This record gives sequence, C-alpha cells and structure tokens, in this order.
Amino acid sequence: MMEVSTLTTVAFYLASAMTLGFAAIVVTQRDVFRAAIALAGSFLGVGILYFVLSAEFVGVVQILVYVGAISVLMAFAVMFIQDIASGSRPAQGRLIGAAVAVLIFAALAFTVYNTTWSSMDEITDPVAVAALTEGFVEVGTGDDLTIAPLGFADPDELVVENGGVLVDSTPAVGVLLIREYMLAFEIIGLLLVAALIGGLLMMRDPSNKDEIETGGASV
Amino acid sequence: MTIENVLLVSAALFAIGVYGVVSRRSLITVIMSLELMFNGVVIAAVAFSRFTPAAALLGDDPLTAEAIRSALTGHAFAIFVTAVAAGEAALAFALVFAMYRGTESVEITDAAEMKN
Repeated sequence: MMEVSTLTTVAFYLASAMTLGFAAIVVTQRDVFRAAIALAGSFLGVGILYFVLSAEFVGVVQILVYVGAISVLMAFAVMFIQDIASGSRPAQGRLIGAAVAVLIFAALAFTVYNTTWSSMDEITDPVAVAALTEGFVEVGTGDDLTIAPLGFADPDELVVENGGVLVDSTPAVGVLLIREYMLAFEIIGLLLVAALIGGLLMMRDPSNKDEIETGGASV
Repeated sequence: MTIENVLLVSAALFAIGVYGVVSRRSLITVIMSLELMFNGVVIAAVAFSRFTPAAALLGDDPLTAEAIRSALTGHAFAIFVTAVAAGEAALAFALVFAMYRGTESVEITDAAEMKN
C-alpha cells in the first residue's frame, strides 16, 4: 500500500498555499515590482512542491532557472522601463478573464475527479517495486543485462512498500536525458542558442548604423 | 497527498495564469502570468510521474533498466519545458524592449501599432 507520511502531507499543503497565494498576488498587484517579487515566491513554492513529489533534480532546476534567472530578468525588465511606476492597470476584459479562468479550473477539476487514475500499487513485481523505491544497479553483460535493487542481495528477501518513484531519482534522470532523450537534449541546446542570438538581434538599436557596420565594435 | 490534490493545485495555478494573461494590461505582467501557466503544466507532468505507473512496468516483460527509468519520463519532460520557458522569457523581454523603444509604452493596447 502506498502511504504518504504526515510530514510530507503538511509540507505539500504549505507549498501549495505558498504557490497559489503568491500567484494570486502576481495577477492582482498593481505595482509591477511587487508582482515580480511575488512571482519569485510562487516559483520557490513550486520548487518545494517538486521536492515533496520526490523530484529533487527538477526542484533544483526550478530554483536555479526560475527563482535565480527568470525572476532576476523580470526585476531588470521592471527597472529598465521607467514609466512602469504608473502600475499595471487591469484591462477591460477583467470579468471575462475571471469567467474564463473559473471555467478552465472547473473543467480540469471535473476531469481530475471523474478519471480513474491507475495506481503505483498495480506494479506487482517486487524487484520492480524495490528498484523504483530504493534505487537499482545493472548486473551482467551484453544480452544477459538485468537489474538488481540496491541493498537486497537475495530477491527472495524483498519486503518493500511501494512509495512511488525513486527516492534518489537524480542519477536515473541524468541517464534518461543522455540516452533516451539524447536528440531532444541536443535540440534544446540549439534552441537556447537561437533564443540568445534572436534576443540580442531584437535588442539592438536599429538607428545605430555604426554598430551594425562594425559588428558592435564601436570606436 | 493524492494525485487528485496535486492536479488540483496544478489546475488552480494554470487558471490563475489564464486570468492574469487576459485581465492585465502591462505586457510584463502578462509574461509573468504566462510563466505561472508553464509552472502549472509542469506540476501535472511531475505528478503523473510520481503517482501513476509506467506502462513498461505493468506487463510481463523481463525487467530492464530502461523500464525503471521510463517511470521518470515526467521529470525529463519537466526539464525540457523549463528550458523552453527560459528561452521564451528572454525572447519575450527582448520584444517588450523593442516595443518600448518604438512606442514608449508597454501596454498591450498600444501593441497594435506593431502591425504598421
């Protein structure tokens, strides 16, 4: 049976409240700088949520990329654009926006509660359960490659509780990224370079002819 | 903490993001709300990875390391979405600055001038 400890449940509700509370501030606060700070708080809450869901690597990536980079980018954007002091006024479509948001949430909630989700308990192979929850090593060579759960020399002695995915998932995610998703991983690198160059091109002042002709090396 | 709870949080974050995108006038807050929507979707992917079994682990096939790792596909998905969102945020702010230089405004109603 899949059990979740009380501490995990408390952490889950705290992280959820933090995420949704700060998110509500982001979309209602008129002061854009305060909205940017609240956004960082919301991202941090999502990062904690990933840790609670035993996705440690995703949690660290979330904190590095969102809290560390994107929030700073937002703060810089707010500071660069001076007349932001007038604040972010709500558009006319405020009521329509609220109606659309409530409808989307209602539809999603209806689907969530009317779907029979398959459970981790359906995995019956004890070796699979132990490998999932405790980690595993590969044994054998070539065609005889098989896996053994960590810490259990004799598979007959396995007594494990199915707690979900790997307790220490980071090494497995790393292997997953560079084996099964190698091509996607490379393309993401290409995409980030394209975004970097595109961003620089768009940021350049078109009236500054000198910069274009000398390739940026202004004298 | 069940999969329903986590998916509800994900849906709520997505809905808050939708409200922000539709109801705000400043482009910067619209981009912030877009990032909230991205996060809502990624929470759902990680929740599926955590609570539902991978198809490769349910059959009678011999257990392989690939089958165990396929339980973590949601994590890989989350990392790819995060990378795309980071690139998107950088490009979106470049567009906002380009618009600000041309029109001295970052309000969405003035963005129609970009057509000309």
